[in-house]
Formats: sequence, structure tokens, C-alpha cells
Amino acid sequence: MENSAEMQRFLQQEQQKAMVGEMVGKLTSVCWDKCITSTPGSKFSSGETTCLSNCAQRYLDMSVLIAKRFEMQGSRDF
Amino acid sequence: MDAAALNNPRVKKLLEEERTKAIANQLVAKLTDACWDKCITGSIGSSFSRSEVSCLSNCAKRYAELKMLTMQKFTSGR
Repeated sequence: MENSAEMQRFLQQEQQKAMVGEMVGKLTSVCWDKCITSTPGSKFSSGETTCLSNCAQRYLDMSVLIAKRFEMQGSRDF
Repeated sequence: MDAAALNNPRVKKLLEEERTKAIANQLVAKLTDACWDKCITGSIGSSFSRSEVSCLSNCAKRYAELKMLTMQKFTSGR
């Protein structure tokens, strides 16, 4: 029984790590596409930096918004 | 598999190594994809042109930089 709880905890942690990794990957990919519109340079331009920062923030805001909306919708239907 | 195995330092080390390999593989695949799209925009030659090589090199660095920044922001800023 003790083994099972410990295993559960381990699996949960791994799942969390995987979710974080997935979100980071997704953010990077989406914002790369949106903000790097010309040939990549030897560093990010200030315009690109601003765009990337805004992009990541908006994407996260959107995720939260959608999650909340989804939750509300679910409870209303019941 | 019982949870005691998770405390084994050799198992831990193996898991960590596998995790690192998986992340590296995933990044390489993503970089290849993203930088091909950004840098190889004209007709395909019998070898990469100088500007294509330069673009690909910059691109890989920028993308990896962006991924790292995103990860830092995401894991510390929440």
C-alpha cells in the first residue's frame, strides 16, 4: 500500500513536469511563428523581443480564460 | 515495478539521462522544422548557400534561446 502511494506521487510529479514541458514547447513554437517574421539575426531585435514577451503573456491569458469558460459552461449544463 | 526502485540512485540517474536525451531529441526535431521554414525560402540548390548557412545557424541559436527564456519565465513567473 505504501509503495502504491509513493508510486502515485512519483507519477503525478512526472505528469506535472511533462505538462510544463509541453506548455513551454507550445509557447515557444507559437510565438516563434508569430513574431519571427524575417530572417533570424545574431540576436533578437527589440521589436521581436517585445512581440515575444507579449505573445507569451497573451497565450497564457487565453489559456486561463478558456479554462474558466469551459468550467463555467460545464457547471451550467448540469 | 515497486516504488523502492525509484529511490535507487542508479535508477534515478538512468531516468535523468533518458529524460535529457528525450528533451534533446525533441529540440533537434523542432529546430530542424522551424529553421527549415524560416531559412530555406527559395529554390533548393545542390548545397546550402552562405546566407542559408548563416541563417540556419542564427535560427538554431535564437530558437534555443527563446525556449530557455520561455522556460525560465514560465517556471519562475507563475
